[in-house]
Amino acid sequence: MAGQTDPHISLFSPQEIEFMAEDELVEILPNMKMDPLNFISGDFGRFVPMMATKVPLWLAVALKRRGKCTFRPPSWLSVDNLTQILEAERESPSTFQALPFSYVEIARLLFDHARDDIPDMYMVRSLVEDIRDVRLHKLETNLGSFQGTSAVKISNVSAMEVNLVRPFVRRALEAFYKHDKPEADVDRDARSSSRQPREANNEPRRPLRQR
Amino acid sequence: MAKYFDIDDILIEEEYVPVVFHKAANGVTIDPSAETNCVEQGSKVEVPFWLAQELHSRQAVSINLPACFNQKTRLEVQADAACVDLRSRCPYFYEFGCKLEPLVTDRTLGILLSTAFKIRYKETLTKVYTAAHITASKYLSFLTKEETNLYEAAHLSMAAFKKWRTGGPRFQRASILGRKRKDSSN
Repeated sequence: MAGQTDPHISLFSPQEIEFMAEDELVEILPNMKMDPLNFISGDFGRFVPMMATKVPLWLAVALKRRGKCTFRPPSWLSVDNLTQILEAERESPSTFQALPFSYVEIARLLFDHARDDIPDMYMVRSLVEDIRDVRLHKLETNLGSFQGTSAVKISNVSAMEVNLVRPFVRRALEAFYKHDKPEADVDRDARSSSRQPREANNEPRRPLRQR
Repeated sequence: MAKYFDIDDILIEEEYVPVVFHKAANGVTIDPSAETNCVEQGSKVEVPFWLAQELHSRQAVSINLPACFNQKTRLEVQADAACVDLRSRCPYFYEFGCKLEPLVTDRTLGILLSTAFKIRYKETLTKVYTAAHITASKYLSFLTKEETNLYEAAHLSMAAFKKWRTGGPRFQRASILGRKRKDSSN
């Protein structure tokens, strides 16, 4: 129902989205020697100095904080690639460029914790922010073109962007669906015709008590 | 039945609709100021929607359109739907209209609702993502209940995202941690 009392019932908080993004694998260069770590999600390591290995982002951040490793920034997080993406985003008004599903969160975590490992950090950061703003604006313009479609396809939208518009879109689509159901007319005619033969006299009469 | 306990649904059905009685009804006090406690055939009264619906299904009354869907509103919606103060007319404009639609003879009601919603939806969208919350507050007072929910949903998620982006405390201390144990003897 569109008029739900709790408007944010199906919303993840941005912190939760960030938490989920921490499971993404990143490459690190350890500077210590350690046996493999065995987790439920898999085994990571073994850690040998200057031998690149892939670990979940949360583990990488924890190691980085203790000064046990350096990050290898993912290949998409380079000035060249980001400039290209930004241009492509600006050129096409309705399609989104392919970026990792949780690029906003990964970029943010890397900027927070691995400032010294990213070449041209300031450039990269402003590029990522530009891309995010352009995409958000594009997403909003796309939402404005809804005309009561019951299915919407927008590909390559990232986790944070989806989450940002989720409550709004859900409600809006519900309302659209309610207002222009094409079968509503048929349904209504069927209902009213079934109601017609029901005569008022058939109702069992209950004497009204005089007050 | 799924909406049986929904407070909004209950409030929608409390809205008054004008009805015309086809049958005389005895022993009812629908209008408290009436001299007799009976309703004559052909009399026009305003009753809550839930009552009108039941009476209509027994073909005792026919339902007319309430004032919030009158010609004046329609013209205003046609002129510029985004600026019509729908809340003061009926806070449950759309839901009420949807409930009324199968019961009244007017077939244009559904079109009115969907066009009004489509235009106002776009306006809400632009207001949410571009305008500041303070400047939008004047616009907010025009919105119906459903549109307000829509606006609030988008606004809350936007605010949460902005808060996350600008940082702030990354780790929250559980409220129970900093507290000292209280002496429970006194």
